Amino acid sequence: MRKYLRLHRIFVAQDLKKLMEYKVDFLMGAIGFVLVQAVKILTLGIIFSAIPALVYKVNGEVLDAWTFNEVLFIYGFSLIPKGVDHLLFDNLWGMGYWVVAKGDFDKYLTRPVNSWFYVLTEKFCVDAFGDLFVGIVLVAYSVFSMPAEIAADINWLRLIPVAFVLPFAIMIYTSIKTGTAAISFWTKRSGHITHMCYMTNEFASYPAKIYNNVVKTIITYILPFALTAYYPAIYILRGESPWSLAVTVGVSVALFLLSQLIWKLGIRAYESAGS
Amino acid sequence: MTKIKKYFPFTRAGIMESVTYRANFLFFLLGEIMKCFVMFFVWKAVFDSSSQETLYGFSYDNMVVYLFISFLSGYITYSDGSYAIGKEILDGSVVMRMIKPIDFDMCFLFQELGNKIISFCLIFLPITAGVEIYRFVINGRLMLDIPMLLLFLLSMVLAYGINFYFNLSYGFLAFFLKNLWGTDIIKGAVVDFLSGATIPLAFMGGFGYVLQFLPFASLSYTPVMIYMGLYSPWQIAFYMSLQVIWLVIFALISKLVLKLAMKRLVVHGG
Repeated sequence: MRKYLRLHRIFVAQDLKKLMEYKVDFLMGAIGFVLVQAVKILTLGIIFSAIPALVYKVNGEVLDAWTFNEVLFIYGFSLIPKGVDHLLFDNLWGMGYWVVAKGDFDKYLTRPVNSWFYVLTEKFCVDAFGDLFVGIVLVAYSVFSMPAEIAADINWLRLIPVAFVLPFAIMIYTSIKTGTAAISFWTKRSGHITHMCYMTNEFASYPAKIYNNVVKTIITYILPFALTAYYPAIYILRGESPWSLAVTVGVSVALFLLSQLIWKLGIRAYESAGS
Repeated sequence: MTKIKKYFPFTRAGIMESVTYRANFLFFLLGEIMKCFVMFFVWKAVFDSSSQETLYGFSYDNMVVYLFISFLSGYITYSDGSYAIGKEILDGSVVMRMIKPIDFDMCFLFQELGNKIISFCLIFLPITAGVEIYRFVINGRLMLDIPMLLLFLLSMVLAYGINFYFNLSYGFLAFFLKNLWGTDIIKGAVVDFLSGATIPLAFMGGFGYVLQFLPFASLSYTPVMIYMGLYSPWQIAFYMSLQVIWLVIFALISKLVLKLAMKRLVVHGG
């Protein structure tokens, strides 16, 4: 374990050195990610300028409603687990896109460390600070500008269980990336499958109730991105659905084991593409 | 004709490349279209939340059509010349293109056309068919208007041309910037917003009105509004002429930037 922590520190240091060399690249990348989010938030703002609150209606009856602040909070919260995964484990993307196809994966197998750990930690992706920054600013802004009667529902003690669940939420992202990246051991390329599954996280940024049952089931249990965003966020805001925290832990562990299994089987089936 | 003919092998290469990676393309597409479905539900909740049937002249059904058609036109008119050129400039392989008796931009254009033929075949029919079935179910009658569809296609071709030269000019900036990846993301975000790809320009009030005259609207908003039949014949004539003007302007700009860039090119190895 200590060996792995030391290795991780060395990898991070290497990436920070690279960062100092290419300051402009880093700055542009981070600004880019901030701008992508800014455009989405601007869009949300324009939408909300036309309506008082987002409601969930069945047969004309209003069952639930979210103010702009609450939607911003959910949106901002969704960026945090996503950003942490992006920061630490971005290297998995390369696996499915080019590492295996080019035959570069051999490198990971010939070193005396766990191959998954090596791939996972080799790169430290500083662009993710853009996402994290926007997420934290949005959460803070939405709380401070909240009308008093909505802010009154927030109980900050709920942050404690959410903080405990957060690593599991991050692991949902990492496991989905790991499992789909490992498909490349058989097919040589699987980056587009990772992309397809990953994009489902777009659904997580909004209240899950507005979707139909098929989508809701997928984003809660199969590609459970709602567990990384909407459920913990609404739990902090209103204390709704505390059960979802337990589901997050359970589903996350199950996904993790499944992704590890795919990875192990994949390595056994792996044949180098040559170099 | 022989002048054009020498570029056909590039088109064939583009077609072959796309056919080889069609599975990747389809998975990628499924991932990207997810955003449309997210907004499909978000807009439903938004229209449920509003006391009015329409927002800024858009009904919910209009909005759904807008979402998917702007996705379609965004996809077909997308041009990634900037990235490809930037990469070649940075690794020096661009010299191989310069020493051959062919036009720099024409190679890219014809190669990308090959890609476009395949992506057009793969996505145009399913998406328009889906949208038309949706409109048929909602309105109880067929809404497809053939002349409009043809104008839409023509407007998309113009939009592609503008996008191509815009990206080409932008890609040539790699000669100066030596960094494209980050600025590419920035460009994408800004263009998406200003072109109406994320939200109709009609929602932006006076600012949106001004945006209609900028080149960005020509990229996405104009073809989509034509498809939806929300532009009058006069508006169609006006905005399509505007597209032609922007096309010419960007073609000229790209030539100018290339000329300037050639003077500064330093290739490290090759």
